[in-house]
Amino acid sequence: MSHPVDRRTFLRRSAIAVLGVTAAGLGAANYVQRRRVPWDRDAFGPLGEARVAVVRATSYSHGLEETVLDGLRAVGADVGGARVLLKPNLVEYDPGTTINTDPRLVAATVAAMRRLGAAEVIVAEGPGHRRDTQYVLTATGLSSALADVDAAFVDLNTDAVTARRLRSHYTKLGSLWLPRSVVEADVVVSMPKMKTHHWAGVTLSLKNLFGCVPGRIYGWPKNALHLAGLEPAILDVAAAIRPALAIVDGIVGMEGNGPISGTPVASGVLIFGNDPVAADVVAARSMNVDPERVPYLMEAGRFLGQADLEQIRMEGEDPGQEATDFALLPTFAHLRVGSSAEPAPLPEAPG
Amino acid sequence: MSDPVSDSFLDALAATRTSDGGFGPRAGLPSEPESTALAALALDDQEARAWLAAHQRADGSLARSLGSVTNEASTALAALALDGDAGRGAANAIAATRAGHLESSSALPFDDDLRGWPWTAGAFGWVEPTAWAVLALRVVLPGTTDAIEEGVGMLRDRECVGGGWNYGNRIVLDEELPPFGQPTAMAMLALQAFEDDEVWRRGMAALRGLWRQEAAGGLTLAVATAALRVNHDYDATACAAALADNFDRTRFLGDIVALAWAAIATGTGLGRLMINDP
Repeated sequence: MSHPVDRRTFLRRSAIAVLGVTAAGLGAANYVQRRRVPWDRDAFGPLGEARVAVVRATSYSHGLEETVLDGLRAVGADVGGARVLLKPNLVEYDPGTTINTDPRLVAATVAAMRRLGAAEVIVAEGPGHRRDTQYVLTATGLSSALADVDAAFVDLNTDAVTARRLRSHYTKLGSLWLPRSVVEADVVVSMPKMKTHHWAGVTLSLKNLFGCVPGRIYGWPKNALHLAGLEPAILDVAAAIRPALAIVDGIVGMEGNGPISGTPVASGVLIFGNDPVAADVVAARSMNVDPERVPYLMEAGRFLGQADLEQIRMEGEDPGQEATDFALLPTFAHLRVGSSAEPAPLPEAPG
Repeated sequence: MSDPVSDSFLDALAATRTSDGGFGPRAGLPSEPESTALAALALDDQEARAWLAAHQRADGSLARSLGSVTNEASTALAALALDGDAGRGAANAIAATRAGHLESSSALPFDDDLRGWPWTAGAFGWVEPTAWAVLALRVVLPGTTDAIEEGVGMLRDRECVGGGWNYGNRIVLDEELPPFGQPTAMAMLALQAFEDDEVWRRGMAALRGLWRQEAAGGLTLAVATAALRVNHDYDATACAAALADNFDRTRFLGDIVALAWAAIATGTGLGRLMINDP
């Protein structure tokens, strides 16, 4: 079922106007004003129609593979004959909360991709806090979940690397080492946990891509990216990888002091998108966060993906109607839909 | 007399050497400074040392650069692995550098006079590269007391509440962050011979618990075995047994850094990480 999203909660402003207003109040967003077009025009084509599906899902146990299959079909995922790389969020392990993309969702997605005709499906991540990937893989249950579906895992922290010149220029990084598995994949699928983030407001499919940057060069945590400016680095890394699909795990998300020390919140949704920016905009709305107040999302909407809801074809549930209030730290109270709070100054983010 | 467990690590490691004499992070990948330095320590290997020496910069450091990012953290491991002037040159390069400055805040309280060492030049200091630097300076250049004291001070400052270390944040937004096994073991390698110190005692107690909780991780077990051995702890034998068992089952998923640490921890290479100062 297709229907337009209720746009009343979105301010009708052009992306540039939004950024001008927002940046005036947010020190963290000053990067957007330095350069009018901080990307190579020939590297990023015009933005097309994005498709996003919000699918109710309250359990990791029942019919998840079918749910994922339906979601992927709803956004027109075309993976026939493709080498698919699934990039879940696997940061560190804490049995008391929900830091990581649930392994059952990852396994269900492997199976769904195969049913859609993918030639090969691998799961890959470079954990950002824990250097011992073997431990995180095992402790989280991802190792056994992948064994159940006979899927290979690639540790992106130790994978072969390729130097990639950046075609966007929000940071001064200039180039990045990227794992060969990521570079050579036909389809990269960003699979974040739906979480609030204590330095960025929300962490979704764009921020999740920090895990593609190899820790053996950029460190644990990947502090070189934070040093380059957290939001600018989100944009440059995402623009270097350009995932074709996003699947946001909001069955149980994390609110409050995410991405590590927050509280589980049963939000009961999976969000699928054929455009990671569009998926993140809709996911933010599902958290009752106004995506137009998240500067990096709006900036990504200028060149990387669709942040204009009029250009997002929605399938399934209405994210506004189905939204769950994700608790926000006081510094991000202004992100709440309808909030009159002023942006607060943010501390420098070390990692 | 050879030890079959140590020999299995050494044999597996030696088999991953690349054609240029160095070692990569996984079998078949190009040589890199960290894996080559650890292999040189584990195997007491002149070819690997030659690779390191050939890649030293004029200031003695080893670096990997691309764009605006330069990773020099492995210089400390090279200092431990290299002999003579080459090793001292690498250690001097460490003594001459520090992490970038980040101001302490209520969100992130810490002593911002104690910078430690970063993963990448100009970035914030973290526990693992700082532990490597402290260990290298204490072994190779024990006279660099200012640098050593700063590094030890940084490790003390970033100790998790209750003992042990994670990557290097003690408290973030009023949340006490938990310790992890692998960086705790790295810190305890750096803090060996501090037996009279409360931080050392808490760290050892934390490590004895953490390696058991995290025994699924080969790298954790390998570094923990090394830390327990150099600190003459009774738990070293049990940890080494868990390490051997993990390797038999998983081959550490092909991680050469974990394999090299296992070879160091159970072999004679550990002697080069021993601190002899009073």
